[in-house]
Amino acid sequence: MNDASANGAILSTKGLTKNYPDGNVAALTDVNLSIPRGQYAAIVGPSGCGKSTLLNLLGALDEPTAGSVYFAGRSFAELGGMDQFRAQKLGFVFQSFYLLPILTARENVQIPMFEGTLSAAARAKRAAELLELVGMSHRAGHLPKQLSVGERQRVAIARALANNPELLLADEPTGNLDSKTAQEICGLFDQLHREQGMTIVLVTHDQNVANRAERIIAMRDGRVADDRLNKDGAR
Amino acid sequence: MRFLTFVTKNLLRRPFRSVLTMMGIALAVGAMVALVGISNGFVESFIQLYQGRGVDLVVVRAGVSERLTSALEESLGDKIRALPGVRDVAGIMTDVVSFPDLNLYGVPILGWKPGTFLLDNLKFVSGRPLTAQDGRVVMLGSVLAKNMGKQVGDKVDVFEDEPFEVVGIFESLNMVENGSMIVSLAELQRLIDRRGRVNLFNVVVTDRADEGAVDRVRQEIEALAPGMSAMTSESFVTSDMQIQAARAMTWITSIVALVIGSVGVLNTMVMSVFERTQEIGILRAIGWRKSRVMRMILVEAVLLSLAGALVGILGALAITTSLSRLPSFSIIIARGIAPAVIGQGILIALILGLIGGAYPAIYAALLQPTKAIRHE
Ligand SMILES: Nc1ncnc2c1ncn2[C@@H]1O[C@H](COP(=O)(O)OP(=O)(O)OP(=O)(O)O)[C@@H](O)[C@H]1O
Ligand SMILES: [Mg+2]
Repeated sequence: MNDASANGAILSTKGLTKNYPDGNVAALTDVNLSIPRGQYAAIVGPSGCGKSTLLNLLGALDEPTAGSVYFAGRSFAELGGMDQFRAQKLGFVFQSFYLLPILTARENVQIPMFEGTLSAAARAKRAAELLELVGMSHRAGHLPKQLSVGERQRVAIARALANNPELLLADEPTGNLDSKTAQEICGLFDQLHREQGMTIVLVTHDQNVANRAERIIAMRDGRVADDRLNKDGAR
Repeated sequence: MRFLTFVTKNLLRRPFRSVLTMMGIALAVGAMVALVGISNGFVESFIQLYQGRGVDLVVVRAGVSERLTSALEESLGDKIRALPGVRDVAGIMTDVVSFPDLNLYGVPILGWKPGTFLLDNLKFVSGRPLTAQDGRVVMLGSVLAKNMGKQVGDKVDVFEDEPFEVVGIFESLNMVENGSMIVSLAELQRLIDRRGRVNLFNVVVTDRADEGAVDRVRQEIEALAPGMSAMTSESFVTSDMQIQAARAMTWITSIVALVIGSVGVLNTMVMSVFERTQEIGILRAIGWRKSRVMRMILVEAVLLSLAGALVGILGALAITTSLSRLPSFSIIIARGIAPAVIGQGILIALILGLIGGAYPAIYAALLQPTKAIRHE
């Protein structure tokens, strides 16, 4: 246990450090963060400052060189491993959507559900509900290439919600979108946060996107340079 | 969507490659099923023949591996018959003859005593069996008669300038006999100049249900004269050198084919995993455990092999069926392929898939998610 769990943090890090062996890059140095349950946080900073590295460590996609990540005060090992954590607690959204090209929207949304206990019929039903939630019901049978980029990101968000995660991580989810579509996707995150109390941590370059979050964590050279609450955010 | 649907869709992304891999497996499994099926059917047909005639023991010269060269005194037959527990004995001689102008080679010619119990199981399509009064007459197996285009009353030149008259055309339980000709033992001994000799004796035991009795008779026969070996008809058939050699060849050919098939699956799955590296990273990132990735690759490999096996087995059935209609093959391929052999083919395909899929599956599961996602 660590002290962060005492104040209800869903996610916290202690001395989190990542050095990439190739190139000997110190991508992340001694990051100590605590994200309370239900918070909507944005990570900002110049290119190469370690935002994606931090998000990947938070999402149990990579192992830190030093330090630890805790989910509700427990290490990934205590939760049954990184795979277990990702399968059950986490949803991940990417800049390039990463939908599987051979599958329709409704099939893409079902992919993470294979790790759950739902029957095939229940999976189809849940996928339909999630597509409804992100406003994509009318295009459920379309392949990714038949969708606009904004629509693809909506489907990807529905997919991230497939296993009822407690936490949503997004790495530049609006990076490939024009500003109008970006605002729509942000609206979706706002809605998830407001209506479902979803904890959201997103990385962005876009100040407009960051400003909608409750908290803005600014990074520089692998360290947290600034961390402040944003009283205008999440409305 | 079912997991199997997803896996199938993955295979259909590269239909050409999947079909080629499948064809490799189809050839391997098809060859194995056809070869093993034919060789098992061959052995089975002999065992059935002996069982149908009630032959319990076969007596040959001990230590002779090539049965055609086994030689025993014909007179030993009477000594065997006199043993307690023996009901009947038939000494027989076998050789092979060829008819180059008819394009028939290696036709078995059997020398049987007129009136022997061996004749009881032959069904005469036309004509009659040999009798003690017959001299140069021959009975033809139905397949041989058809291949030679001979009927009862026709002449057959068994050896040069030795015309034998066809007196009967028969059907036997055994396909090899259907492709054989039978003359009287005395005539064959004269033709091949081995008077007073036989290759082997077929022995019927009185109390045949009793294994102990059969074994006692076996020991008594072996004690009669040195250099005689008596064995049950089943072990006689399976210990035959040629049958064993054919079986060994069958298995070696099958194993080579199967190894090539599994290397094909391995190659395809390795390529497929390399191509999908980024996608595998994404699957991990959106919640798939290592085990799920592994299962995806393994199921893809197994699905490929099973589909290939299905095609191969259908092909093997089609080929053996059509071969059995050709004169030159009809004496070796009589029946269809036993279901057990088909089952073996499916089982082996499953194992091939697992072997071919194992390395790519483990490789895919151990990919580091972020590295995999960065992979283009
Ligand atoms: N797998 C890797 N191997 C080696 N170096 C890496 C690897 N991933 C990232 N880096 C380096 O680590 C540093 C931080 O990278 P990271 O991707 O976290 O930055 P970022 O803040 O997300 O940048 P951007 O805004 O451009 O996405 C960079 O210098 C990058 O080159
Ligand atoms: Mg980045």
